Amino acid sequence: MSRLICPFCGPRELREFEFHKTLPNAGDTPFERVYLRVDSLTHSVEHWQHIQGCRAWLHVERNPSTGAVLVMRLATAPGVA
Amino acid sequence: MKGPMPRYSALALLRARFQGARYWKPLWTGRTLKAAYDVVVVGAGGHGLATAFHLARDHGLKVAVLERRLVGYGNVGRNTTILRSNYLLPENHYFYEDSLRRWETLSRDLNYNVMYSPRGVVDLCLSDGDMITASRRGNAMRLAGIDSELMELDALERFAPELAPRRSRRFPIVGALVQRRGGTARHDAVAWGYARGATALGVDIIEDCEVQGLCTEAGVATGVETSKGLVRANRVVFATAGHTGMVGAMLGVPLPIETHLLQAMVTEPIKPLINSVLIYVHPGHGETYVLQSDRGGVVMGGYLDGFPSYTREGQWHRLEEVVQGAADLLPEIGGLRILRQWAGTNDMTMDGSPIMDRVKYDNVFLNAGWCYGGFKTIPASGAACATLVATGLAPDIARGFRLSRFATGHLLDERGGGPFPVRL
Repeated sequence: MSRLICPFCGPRELREFEFHKTLPNAGDTPFERVYLRVDSLTHSVEHWQHIQGCRAWLHVERNPSTGAVLVMRLATAPGVA
Repeated sequence: MKGPMPRYSALALLRARFQGARYWKPLWTGRTLKAAYDVVVVGAGGHGLATAFHLARDHGLKVAVLERRLVGYGNVGRNTTILRSNYLLPENHYFYEDSLRRWETLSRDLNYNVMYSPRGVVDLCLSDGDMITASRRGNAMRLAGIDSELMELDALERFAPELAPRRSRRFPIVGALVQRRGGTARHDAVAWGYARGATALGVDIIEDCEVQGLCTEAGVATGVETSKGLVRANRVVFATAGHTGMVGAMLGVPLPIETHLLQAMVTEPIKPLINSVLIYVHPGHGETYVLQSDRGGVVMGGYLDGFPSYTREGQWHRLEEVVQGAADLLPEIGGLRILRQWAGTNDMTMDGSPIMDRVKYDNVFLNAGWCYGGFKTIPASGAACATLVATGLAPDIARGFRLSRFATGHLLDERGGGPFPVRL
């Protein structure tokens, strides 16, 4: 995955993007949200930002064992479809 | 294996010369898995093997080490072998210093040459701000009795002439924090030496044996389910760095760990050029550290790739940055070809410091979260983890590495970077 496809800017080099955090949160308390991670070998849901591009927050789903990007779209607030 | 392990010595080499190849015996293979042990250690990497070695030697326990692939397949065979104890926080530097002291005598203790080479670790400073930060860290170390020298250009020129610190660079070097006792060791030899030492003490090292689950009864772990059947154990230690997140998933306990890739690369061998370990944070390209292996290759590495991954493939943009930084630092290596590039999976904790504690059950232990500093801590981690497992109480130098520190706020945030495994 040396490129990611930004929904606004198209295919861009990986270095333009910044990984933020895996989802879902491990729990609802601030400690669980900030410090704990639910890990998976095959399916990782993450927030990224196109920090050196359009700066959009992105919802990314990847397979961390193969590097394949499964979904990449604009992130939405919790509860928004 | 039959008979005791032969002790290596000059005389033994001579004997081997006359007896031929049959003198040499396998160092750890051929053990069969028994039904029950005092302690089962999961993972035959540096930390697992060292823990097993100390459990058997210092505490006389019956131990098995279960490994999904091969001895030393993971990070102990993939790191860039840098040894140092130049940490700022007391909880860290006392522990890392204990480790460095053990490195100094490790070859003798294991009767196996781990090729410890105290060639000096040089943290380069590019600004007055860097010098102030370095002197703060250096002073903290000196207060703890750990060697550390803040060098200005004259001293640095004498210590590392190959660096030519005064040569014209876009970002001139103004000084360095140097730890002379820091250096390197042979990574594979550490795994092999501990595996051999543990086997000689009766530890069963079982390769190709995947641990698939933990058996429990009334809130106590009773053993592990493996691809080779059930094994009963009074205590279980997970030393599966790089895959500790999977242990968390198996136990149903979310851990303060993300798994990130760290890559390294080595050039074709050249004649001796670089004497010490050079660590350089270029304001444009990021971190690069450069050293020369005993074989002559220039070994380089830098930051993490920046996102969770289990692929063991480094990303191109990071490789490019590392190489640019190295070529900026030592322009004469710019024309060398890179022979190999690889990556390892790192347990990155949320404060950058390790975890050595019980997890979920009273008799299940975690030796994890070594971030990118696992190799240098192998000897101290093995001894400390064995004490924790055998006595139930971690030694003083490892008390700070509790799992609960993230909840109570007693973080060991060496970088002062906040609750993130990566922030570049």
